[in-house]
Amino acid sequence: MASRGMTQTAFFVLVALTDEPRHGYGIVQEVDALSDGRVQLRIGTLYGVLDRLAEDELIELDREEAHQGRLRRYYRLTDAGEAALSEEAERMAEGARTAARRVAGRRGSPGKQSPVHGTVRPGLAGGGA
Amino acid sequence: MTSLLEQRYRRVLRMLPASYRAEREEEIVDTYLEDFDEYEREELRPSWREVASIAALAVRTRMGGPRAEPRYAVAGATVRLFALLSILMHGARELTDRALSLAWYSGAPAHESALFISAFEAHGVMEGVRATCLWLLPLCWVAAYAALLRDRRRTAFVFTVLANLPGLTFVVDWATGWPVSLDGYSVAFAASGWLTVLAVVCAFHSSAPPARLPVPPGLALMGSCVLMGGSIVVWRDGADSVWSSGTACVVAAGCWFAARARGAVAAADPEVPLALALLSCAVLAERAGMLVLLMEPHMSDLHVYAAGAQTAALTALAAALAVAGSRMARRSRKQLPARGERGSPG
Repeated sequence: MASRGMTQTAFFVLVALTDEPRHGYGIVQEVDALSDGRVQLRIGTLYGVLDRLAEDELIELDREEAHQGRLRRYYRLTDAGEAALSEEAERMAEGARTAARRVAGRRGSPGKQSPVHGTVRPGLAGGGA
Repeated sequence: MTSLLEQRYRRVLRMLPASYRAEREEEIVDTYLEDFDEYEREELRPSWREVASIAALAVRTRMGGPRAEPRYAVAGATVRLFALLSILMHGARELTDRALSLAWYSGAPAHESALFISAFEAHGVMEGVRATCLWLLPLCWVAAYAALLRDRRRTAFVFTVLANLPGLTFVVDWATGWPVSLDGYSVAFAASGWLTVLAVVCAFHSSAPPARLPVPPGLALMGSCVLMGGSIVVWRDGADSVWSSGTACVVAAGCWFAARARGAVAAADPEVPLALALLSCAVLAERAGMLVLLMEPHMSDLHVYAAGAQTAALTALAAALAVAGSRMARRSRKQLPARGERGSPG
């Protein structure tokens, strides 16, 4: 994972697993909520990401349960996954801070008039911009 | 009792490899059905987006993705190497052709060089732009080669598509009412290019390791250009459009057999002979198409004999490479643990 960078989908899946172990559908719902509906995981995409994250040991199997005669697997974040997520969140926050500084500098420069008035919106990773 | 939607979804899941389904099917079905109530489960079909996501997962799993069986790991490595070798071969061929054209142009008599230039400027600006694009776009193969070796996969994909566009001019001609004559060689040539695009798309998924050649990439490109250019210069009378790439394939296969006989490490992986076999088959298709064109009554016997000899050599080498590669793959499957591909990013 680290060698090819973290995709947006993988990022949201890891975020979805930070508070508690979740099963496939639980992850789909949580990612939908976390991204305000922008990231809607298809099942094939979800399992491709889960396979890759498990291969990279960023997540692991928490438990298995029977649900209506079918198997339901719960996944949890590993310590390596937490570290990778923290690193990615910091990278994104740093990117947001840089963008905010540049926008503020552009607005403050002579001859430039701000097209937007009001407060600055939060950064992509939730950091204050 | 299973619902109609579940039955339909399980049919979609048959695209996945049996070993993957054995491990994941029940879990995937549970995740999918959770989004639908009882009424919907009797009425709906899986959406095309869901089907496409499962198809993509099926391709990725068969191309050596995580949880892939050893045979799929070999398949993925083979298709990746085929894509890289095919891009290298196309790039070297186009680069050599243009270098030879320019070398000829610089020393050609005035009336012949004027004929060459007239192709770009004699039919108006638009035709000139079109002719220039058709002349330059195939060089995108070289850019694709560089991009793939730097692991810029999307860039490589864009360049391979651009490089293939000249092969589609017959579609534009057909759409604009120009007469179109398609022959086997043109179809095989275009198919080889688009097959390479397909290989790049399928095999270089996000979990796939970067492309690697068993020899230094710069040396491979330079060596291929020298070999292809040399084959045309030495055999000018018998060389046709497939001659240089056919020669390169024969020499590459010969080098692999020699390295294998000497026990070289670079020749130990099954994907090398298998990818070379695939490449030989693609060139063989072009060669067969060209051979049909060479059978025209006005063509010289020398052309036909040279093309026939190369066809026979390519056929024999493709078969020998496929057999050797399959045997090596079977042996490596027995030795490898049932896990993902070697070299997968950790």
